[in-house]
Amino acid sequence: MSEYIPMQAEIEDIDRVTSDTYLISLHILEGKGLSYRPGQFIMVSVFGLGECPISIASSPTRDTLQICIRRAGRITSGIMDSRIGDVLGVRGPCGNGFPLERMGRDILIAGGGSGFATLRSLVNYIVDRRRSFGDVTVIYGARTSQDLYFMQEYKGWQMAGLSVGITVDVGDDSWTGNVGMVTSLLDRLEVSVGSAAICGPPVMINSVANTLLTMGFSNSDIYISLERHMKCGLGKCGHCNIGPHHVCQDGPVFSYDRVRSLLESL
Amino acid sequence: MMIAFLSNNEMVPLIEALAKRLEVIAPVLSGGQPVFATWNGQELALDAENPLSSPLEFLLPSREALFRYVQLSGRYTFEEPSLPARLILGIRPCDLFAVEVLDRIMTEEPCDQAYLGRRRSTVLVALNCTRPGSECTCAQMGSGPGCVAGYDLALTPLGDGYLVESGSPAGVLILREHPQFFREASNEEIARKEALLAASREQMIMVRPDLSLQSMQEAISAADWERLGDLCLRCGGCSFICPTCHCFNVLDLGVPDGERIRCADSCILSGFSRMTSGANPRATQGERLANWYRDKFVYMPEKIGLPGCVGCGRCHRVCLARFDRRKLEALP
Amino acid sequence: MEKIHTTCVYCGCGCGLFLHVEGDRVVGASPSPGHPLSRGRLCIKGWLAGEFVGHPDRLRYPLIKRGDRRVRATWDEALSLVRDRFLKVKEAYGPDAIAVLTSAKGTNEENFMLMKLARAVLKTNNVDHVARLCHAPTVAGLSYAIGSGAMTNPIESLLESEAIMVVGSNTTEQHPMVAATILEAQSRGAELLVFDPRRTQIAAQADIHLTPAPGTDVAWINGLLNVIIEEELIDEVFIRGRTQGFELVKEAASCYTPEVVESITGIPPHLLRAAALSYGAAEAASIVYAMGITQHTAGTDNVQALANLALATGNLGREGTGIYPLRGHQNVQGACDMGALPDLLPGYQKVSDPRKIETFEEAWSVDLPRAPGLTAVEILEAAEEGSIKAIYISGENPLMSYPDRDSVYKALKALDLLVVADIFPTETTRLAHVVLPVASFAEKDGTFTSTERRIQLISKAVSPPGEALSELDVIFDLMKRLGAPYRSLSPAEVMEEIASLNPHYGGIRYRRLGIDGLQWPCPDEDHPGTGILHREAFPIGRARFRPVFQKELHESPDEDYPFLLITGRTLYHFHSGSMTRRTSLLDREVPGPVVDVNPDDAGRLRIRSRQRVVIESRRGRLEVEARIDPGLMPGILYLPFHFSEAPANALTARALDPASRIPAFKISAVSMRRA
Repeated sequence: MSEYIPMQAEIEDIDRVTSDTYLISLHILEGKGLSYRPGQFIMVSVFGLGECPISIASSPTRDTLQICIRRAGRITSGIMDSRIGDVLGVRGPCGNGFPLERMGRDILIAGGGSGFATLRSLVNYIVDRRRSFGDVTVIYGARTSQDLYFMQEYKGWQMAGLSVGITVDVGDDSWTGNVGMVTSLLDRLEVSVGSAAICGPPVMINSVANTLLTMGFSNSDIYISLERHMKCGLGKCGHCNIGPHHVCQDGPVFSYDRVRSLLESL
Repeated sequence: MMIAFLSNNEMVPLIEALAKRLEVIAPVLSGGQPVFATWNGQELALDAENPLSSPLEFLLPSREALFRYVQLSGRYTFEEPSLPARLILGIRPCDLFAVEVLDRIMTEEPCDQAYLGRRRSTVLVALNCTRPGSECTCAQMGSGPGCVAGYDLALTPLGDGYLVESGSPAGVLILREHPQFFREASNEEIARKEALLAASREQMIMVRPDLSLQSMQEAISAADWERLGDLCLRCGGCSFICPTCHCFNVLDLGVPDGERIRCADSCILSGFSRMTSGANPRATQGERLANWYRDKFVYMPEKIGLPGCVGCGRCHRVCLARFDRRKLEALP
Repeated sequence: MEKIHTTCVYCGCGCGLFLHVEGDRVVGASPSPGHPLSRGRLCIKGWLAGEFVGHPDRLRYPLIKRGDRRVRATWDEALSLVRDRFLKVKEAYGPDAIAVLTSAKGTNEENFMLMKLARAVLKTNNVDHVARLCHAPTVAGLSYAIGSGAMTNPIESLLESEAIMVVGSNTTEQHPMVAATILEAQSRGAELLVFDPRRTQIAAQADIHLTPAPGTDVAWINGLLNVIIEEELIDEVFIRGRTQGFELVKEAASCYTPEVVESITGIPPHLLRAAALSYGAAEAASIVYAMGITQHTAGTDNVQALANLALATGNLGREGTGIYPLRGHQNVQGACDMGALPDLLPGYQKVSDPRKIETFEEAWSVDLPRAPGLTAVEILEAAEEGSIKAIYISGENPLMSYPDRDSVYKALKALDLLVVADIFPTETTRLAHVVLPVASFAEKDGTFTSTERRIQLISKAVSPPGEALSELDVIFDLMKRLGAPYRSLSPAEVMEEIASLNPHYGGIRYRRLGIDGLQWPCPDEDHPGTGILHREAFPIGRARFRPVFQKELHESPDEDYPFLLITGRTLYHFHSGSMTRRTSLLDREVPGPVVDVNPDDAGRLRIRSRQRVVIESRRGRLEVEARIDPGLMPGILYLPFHFSEAPANALTARALDPASRIPAFKISAVSMRRA
């Protein structure tokens, strides 16, 4: 059977994350579900509207497959307009995911904006396998406090011994936390030099990575998750190429030294 | 390998015999011009220049349904299209080389079953080029004028008929099943083939002695891409006509039932790489053109060990813009 | 798979292409190397021309209005209803309460028969089409000046030009094959002069790019002529031998010194002079123009000014010279040739000329109405006022493409009968009493006439979807229902009738067309067609100069509406978008409306790229995303009219050119603010 034919997944639950972002729990109707790793993504379709890549926001250590959808284009709007019980198409998992076997025990996780969805998978994975990891720091920034994802989960992460720093670009009356760039959090938290996982807008990725380099992180231990236009998830359709690489197959996670050597990647 | 001779007047009877169990695709005339189309007894255009639209569209169509989705009480069933068994007659060495390129790309894991399905049900009868076209550079690119692999049968026109060589069990089978159309080839005919192809090769190299994969790579590094981008008229023709271009878009048509379609896409278009946020990793036309060339001459050799240019000259023939696509320089 | 040779359905270039057909579906398109103009090349729309044909949105069966909805009907029900209402309106209000808008997207044969339906069956001259909105000033202006509104030379003749003047034409985007020819001529040594307030791609390639303020064309064209006269670059032999009325024009031009021109248009005198010398001194020079010239209240004057310039320099009737009005639809030339015009019969024969109309009366054995009918915009005005009660619209979407959308809406809503024949549901079919599903260009035989007068075949590649029919068959059916004695004809037979009544098409027969087509005038079956017009003489004998003067604009930017809005098209979409917005790659390329804003204006109003802005005119308002375009003059905005999300024609006015009745799409005073 063609790998273009998706599995069917029923929407089990829909949670509001922000005003324009939902966390959607999916139940795969056929087979034994999806086996995936943090940092991978799936191709999600609404039949009649089409298919697009969505990063997996849940950890494989937990039962429910979750995706985080922000209203952006036709298909994401179609997903958000779906109701519990509706069926979506799912293909995957696609891509490489974070190379946990090479990332060691001490990990810094840095997210910006909606790029934090894929990192939640990694954070919860670490929380669930806490003993395999050492010093773990999570830093995350969004535009305003209303745009922050997964707020009710931060406390649990801290209770699991993770160091968590949150910041917003623009503060308001309701916000008592940090205001400023994600990198500003790096000065305030104790960060052990190890490996890092970053996902966010290109500017944020570059500034975090550069700061980490000055802190003694090695180029090859910083992992970036990239976003690209994709159509197939199989390395065939050509949309996501960076030089000879296809982000959907060779990525979306690349080490920073590799990313920097690739033309036009950021 | 089997070698035989097919005289000109046995060609049509052979095709008639083959067409009984396969859809035969061959160069025929439409609007007075050669095109690859289903042969239904029309006059063959094997002597004409290679059709502008390559026969690769029969392996990776410019538009095909990947599957049909049918909804019933909230759940879907999927139907895959059935693929016709085909024989492509008269595919030129350049296009045959493009098949090899696509084979490597599309069947590399994870394999594209839609492509593989068509590929497996297609017999390739190649036609070696004894008379290159004015834009042909297969000799320089290493794909022709004679094909060396990848065919089921290869024909070389010798004037009064064709030297026929088998390149696969399927090709041998055709020769064995239709002995009445073939006779043994003579050593003179085999030698004549070699001489004709050598002359054809020489002719191409004489026209463009400096062209090579390497000269293209050098031109790519030296090119003023922003200037070329300003000249590009954004027709996308080079990417739609290139036999190794395989990028596609996927879209759904129909609610609640419908088809998931894939159709040819073009990296020359800004929407190809633009993300939903509006950000575009290849923001200018120059960057997009550069990417197209690098993909052919740098990335593909690196990835699959073959150049993405087969020297068919089609991108030159369809280009609306005013630059030399071999030197990558603006015309005066 | 079959590959069917046909003619592109988009702009007036008339490129040849193959439709790839698999199992009665169009699966692709590719260029035709043997085509005389396109020679194996196509623009992006041409490459993708097959995609919309099989779109699931296609109209598949007739629809009749029931309440506020349109429900499926049989052809018999739909056409009976059309017949009954037509007869009722005719009986109650007379034949001139009916109007027919034919389609520049239809074939010559369909246009001819719709024209015949209007005149011979419904008995009204209220027949017009979209040419009114694009080249009515060309037909009016060039017919007066040189006796024919058609492009004077074949497009390839541009390759022989020493200087090419491109005026108000975004050629690389709107007529890519003409642009490719112009740029090829430039690389062979021709000087390229572009006049456009926007820095378009062709402007960026120009040797001289001049940016006159919109609506000031007469001033700078006269200014060019003035310099040419001063520099003694006029062709006195030509003027003496083949024209009349030069003295008055010379006098008029003398008012437009470079300094005066600068004060009106903003063009620096040295650049005006350089352009004048380039055009004036060239042995063979040509003028290419489009909507930037015609869509003005002074459209006909603008055209005359250009004609004056060409006549004064003897740049007509030879290779490399000429006037090239670029037609924007693949068959807008043909629709005009077929007499889908309220005052002109096929072949531009005047309705008011008794001898001409008698020829038609004899051929069709009927009495024909003799008073010229209403033009397109006037038809809608009359509908709004209540004097037009029934309109048959073929393949047009006035709600998107006509000026002042609000008034168009009111006009269409007020009708007793609105019949729309189309291939897709549009904003206009949503108002129709009867919607007729018809065949697209890929589903019928016929001919299109390109902007270079080339009559070319289109060929049926696939069947129409559902119950859709070729419109020609629909027209014949309707004629019979209305009691007309005309039998159904094949497209080839209709062409024979056209040939018998339009002298320019006298020698056109399907069997002669092949892939090269034939360029009219082609008076008889042995005639090879005509490339260059006016070689020896003009159809009116001597060409006519006419002095023209810069006039006040109907509307200028002021304190309340400080910006000047230009409307137009983009490369990736066509007209009201019903085809291109259903072509996946085109729609992805430009997914929605965007207004172009000069960076200084944007800075002043704190408008960032991709920010939503509100644009408002005296007629209406809309909200749209902004794009910062450094190629645009300050004070000017550019908004394409393809998008129903932000219909540009909500803002435009019905200000008409008095001579040609074209609306001034290119000039609207608007305000802009952040949304």
